[in-house]
Amino acid sequence: MIKVLRPLHAALLVLGVGFSASALAHNPMCECKAIDADQIKCTGGFSDGSGAPGVTLDVIGYDETILVPGKLGADSTVTFKKPGAEFYVLFDAGPGHVVEIDQADIEAPGT
Amino acid sequence: MSRTDSVTPPSRLNVLWHTWRFHLNILLLLIPLGFMPKYFADASLFRGDSGLGEREIGEVQVGPWSLRLAELRNEAPLLTGPAGYMKGFNAALCDSCREQVKATYLRIGKPRSLRAAGVIFFGTPYRMGALLPIPEKTKADAELWITMEGWDGSMHQAAVPLNQASPATVAWLNKQGGKP
Repeated sequence: MIKVLRPLHAALLVLGVGFSASALAHNPMCECKAIDADQIKCTGGFSDGSGAPGVTLDVIGYDETILVPGKLGADSTVTFKKPGAEFYVLFDAGPGHVVEIDQADIEAPGT
Repeated sequence: MSRTDSVTPPSRLNVLWHTWRFHLNILLLLIPLGFMPKYFADASLFRGDSGLGEREIGEVQVGPWSLRLAELRNEAPLLTGPAGYMKGFNAALCDSCREQVKATYLRIGKPRSLRAAGVIFFGTPYRMGALLPIPEKTKADAELWITMEGWDGSMHQAAVPLNQASPATVAWLNKQGGKP
């Protein structure tokens, strides 16, 4: 009887540990990459592994004008044309749940 | 345990085990006692009995308001999964501003706008908490910016040098070298 239950206990432990970790933190995350000379692709998500479809992602100029207002698509990504002016990307999942990516931190294509 | 080994004489190890297993089990029961001081220290920290956090930063004036700020743990930022290194801060609003302040934010470096004011403090005004991401390329002379937003729409900001807000974080940044 005990021998039969042992694998079950192990499975329960693994499940418990797994779920507690995902409940601990789900900080917003965002990553942007230049896919070619003038296109930038940003991927949003949360640190518990969940995606962020429909979440706002704006491209904002250094003068605080919104250059490209956008929302992430069903695959949690958005692709936009690189603005001419200096800009940063703001992944905005609500007040206090934002990620800023400066243009200097966006990887060039091919790296 | 198999029942057929009664034919062969029990090994020395077997005899030792059978003689001492009762006492060994008592020792096993004693092991958790070693963890008790840490357990009670943590329980008191999270309940607020030992103050706002492990290290109080002090009262910070933010425009007409003020708040008491503390590091939850007096230690370097912790790597908490894919979102990177995080550092916990706690804060308590001043008596007169509890009714007036709508939100309090924390960020390394001056926020570009209220939308990008950083992480928001959660919890009661008497004891709020925020988990601040610390980018590895943070400069050691960076500042911790507090942004407070009032119900009347007003916004006030104040900055605390990081080496004052969290010497442990600055030591960690210096140790790992300035990342590009």
